[in-house]
Amino acid sequence: MPVIRLLILLAALFGSPAYADRAVLSGALCAPALADQIAALGALAEAGATGGKDEAAWARTVVEAVDARALRCAASLAFIGEGDAALDAASLAPSPAPVDAAPMPINNRLRAAAASAAAALTLFVDTEPAARAKAATTLERRREALSLTILDAALAAETEPTVLAVLEPLRARMMLADPDPQNRIRAIDAIAAETTLRNRTLIAEALSEEADTTVQAAGQAAMARIDRQIAIGQVLATLYSGLSYASVLLLAALGLAIIFGLMGVINLAQGEFIMIGAYAAWFVQNAIRALLPGLIDWYLIIALPISFLVAALVGVVMEALVLRRLYNRPLMTLLATWAVSLLLINLVRVTIGTQNLEFHQPFYVVGGVPVVGDFIVTLNRLFAIAIAALAFVGVVLLLRVTTFGMNVRAVAQNRAMAGAAGIDARQTDRLAIALGSGLAGLAGVALAPLYNVNPNMGAGFIVDSFMVVVLGGVGSLAGAVAASFGIGQINVIMEPLYGAVAAKVVVLLLVIAFIQRRPEGLFAPKGRR
Amino acid sequence: MTLGLTRRRLLKTAGASLLGVGAASFPMPGLIRSARAADTVKLGCLFSSSGAMANVEGRLTSVVRMAAEELNAKGGVMGRTVEVVGTDPASDWPLYAQLSRQLIEQDQVAALFGCWTSVSRKSVLPVVEQSDALLYYPLHFEGEENSKNVVYLNSPPSSSVLPAVEYLMGPDGGEAKRFFMLGSDYVWPRTINQQLKGYWASKGIPETDWREEYVPVGHSNFQTLVNQIREFADQPGGQPVVVLTVVGNSIPDFFREFANQGISALDVPVLGLDALEADFEGLDTAALAGHLNCWAYLQTAKGPANDAFKAAWAKHVADTGVPYRGDVAIDPMVSVYDGVHLWALAAEKAGSFAVPEVRAASPSVSFACPSGYEIAMMADSTYVKRGVFIGSLNETQGFDVLWQSEGTPDPLPFSPYMKA
Repeated sequence: MPVIRLLILLAALFGSPAYADRAVLSGALCAPALADQIAALGALAEAGATGGKDEAAWARTVVEAVDARALRCAASLAFIGEGDAALDAASLAPSPAPVDAAPMPINNRLRAAAASAAAALTLFVDTEPAARAKAATTLERRREALSLTILDAALAAETEPTVLAVLEPLRARMMLADPDPQNRIRAIDAIAAETTLRNRTLIAEALSEEADTTVQAAGQAAMARIDRQIAIGQVLATLYSGLSYASVLLLAALGLAIIFGLMGVINLAQGEFIMIGAYAAWFVQNAIRALLPGLIDWYLIIALPISFLVAALVGVVMEALVLRRLYNRPLMTLLATWAVSLLLINLVRVTIGTQNLEFHQPFYVVGGVPVVGDFIVTLNRLFAIAIAALAFVGVVLLLRVTTFGMNVRAVAQNRAMAGAAGIDARQTDRLAIALGSGLAGLAGVALAPLYNVNPNMGAGFIVDSFMVVVLGGVGSLAGAVAASFGIGQINVIMEPLYGAVAAKVVVLLLVIAFIQRRPEGLFAPKGRR
Repeated sequence: MTLGLTRRRLLKTAGASLLGVGAASFPMPGLIRSARAADTVKLGCLFSSSGAMANVEGRLTSVVRMAAEELNAKGGVMGRTVEVVGTDPASDWPLYAQLSRQLIEQDQVAALFGCWTSVSRKSVLPVVEQSDALLYYPLHFEGEENSKNVVYLNSPPSSSVLPAVEYLMGPDGGEAKRFFMLGSDYVWPRTINQQLKGYWASKGIPETDWREEYVPVGHSNFQTLVNQIREFADQPGGQPVVVLTVVGNSIPDFFREFANQGISALDVPVLGLDALEADFEGLDTAALAGHLNCWAYLQTAKGPANDAFKAAWAKHVADTGVPYRGDVAIDPMVSVYDGVHLWALAAEKAGSFAVPEVRAASPSVSFACPSGYEIAMMADSTYVKRGVFIGSLNETQGFDVLWQSEGTPDPLPFSPYMKA
């Protein structure tokens, strides 16, 4: 007789005061007005904070159901889940929801309040100090459901120093409207510890209604402190943006500089080699996901050599089938490599499709680290900068230290003379093309966390990288570095001043003017052509 | 009148007759085609499968094919088999005009389905007006145009963007007070923003509470702009919102940078006016949940028509092996699907494929759109009345319905807010 047993259970639950309280608390979420729903989330958080661990665990389950859009409302009764699989939100016992139970509509304000309430309740429920510390940092930003009652209860129960280190300043920050001026000053200092524009705005808004002169003075001092930090942060942010843009340009241009500099071959398929590198990384990702799922976070690193080799192979094949037959005919190579680029784009389009590829984003390319003021180091760009730096150092060493590098430099300076000295110029060309295309493959891996990976991605890079190579001086690696830094930095400085469209125009005009004054580029190659 | 058949003259005549043959042979394929067209009727598609728009635009040709198959399965339109002629304008705006002329004159299509960006529509407009053809345009757009040769299947701002912005300014939407407009630099974003500014001015919002920035089409480096947005959002004055009108591949690039700089939708929601499920295919949306879009259809719309449409699309993808995701359905796909069916219904009603008669019959037919609304063309313009959805991005790259309109509001081709 399961039905009768259920009825008895229900009766017992309805009879208990705890159930009645919980039914009221969870039922309040079904209120029609948004403000009431937000208040209900706050009330749930407070009930959990003051009612002991069980109550907190129950409240968190309900709050998380709100955030997961699993809450259903029938009249003023809340259910978690749908139809027969539903749970009564008050008892968490299975209780089929009525057919007319409607999902609780959830918008961003409710989600913010739910996230705040869930974080507050985590302080009381979770036994992991790390999870509590994370919840405490979430509360710093999300205070929609936080009250002093909750915070004091949390401070009383908390023993872990890492969590206390977050909660205590948070308690101080909550005193911004306290009647005691000393507490207000402490609140201002606590807020100003994190020097962001957002916090400056908080202090400024509080000061606009402040009558006490000592608090005013403290506030002004704190704002001046934040202003200095923000100014530093802005300069750093501009430099970083420029550096990251420069690293992208350099990655795209490095291989081109080698091929163009050595053989005078204008390789219009260089952008597509980048695309091939990115697609190879995608295949590596899928292979690792299927074979070694434990290593999935490291697929970008594993893909580096593989993408290099795949792109290098395509480059060598292109050399053997196309370029070898067209040496000393630069216009023909230009057209032929363009044809190769179209061929590669359409080959990928037909076989894999035009959609953007989905890349797993490992932890080291997601999010950013706040440094000073509002300056955030975004990790995906840091990854690209690191790869660009490594690729550049590697290429310089290769060209300066190895025999192959010496051969490349010799052929680049004087092809006939190098041949006479016993260097196999054709062999050197082949290896240099492999190196140049392989570098583009590396660029593909480094750019995958930054850009959309699709068959057309290469087209966006080819113009920029030619600009870098020509501006830097044909075949000069130092020139390529200087040119990418110059273009990157100028772009980033112009953008906020004149807008992104004008910045592009200005950069192109500057490049034209520069090339007219100095056609050989920043660093002129020495040697006979 | 002597027979002065000199060598020179002979050559001349021969040359002329050769030329004549050449000229005559040129329209021959057209003749052959129209002879074969006795039992088929053709629909032309103008959707790029290469270039900047390929990622989203390409799949619409497949949808037209799918809708044509549905019509053919029921015996075609007036007994004629529907044949779809696909093209690739390569995201190159003038090429849309050239290919539309080719489709009209050479392939003699009964109707055109095409264009995504407004600039491509504007480039096709003179062609369809000159030869009195019919273009079914599936995107929501800036309005300010009313040509009898274009059927506007989707909404102008008056019945899509303004309701969405009104929602964001209301208590449920977060009482937005300050607006950062970021768009690609062309006609659609500029006109939308112009109308938005007029609208806000009419609501008494001061000019200092909004900012307007544009990037080149295809722009991908959003670092500086996201920095600017952060700065704008952290200033005092109330809840900030980003109204995003960048298009194509700039959309995922923008959102990637936005999430990486740690800005949450709960603090600064982005209303992506051109943002679609497909734009988030390569992104981790857990960090982006809560951003908004507004369209006349969302994949999560409830109803049997939507279930049938999604099942048909999944089957079409599986059967034909086209490289698109069978489980992603986006508004322009549904709009172009509606367009094919509206055209077929109107042609059946008119009993003719001639453009003036199809157009005259159009307002009197309606179609059960997968969005759940019964849609029909206006009587006094060639705009189609659609429902409005506001979507909220969820963790699984889809948009949940946050709000939807009661019925299908009347679209206003010309906005009263343009003067501001």
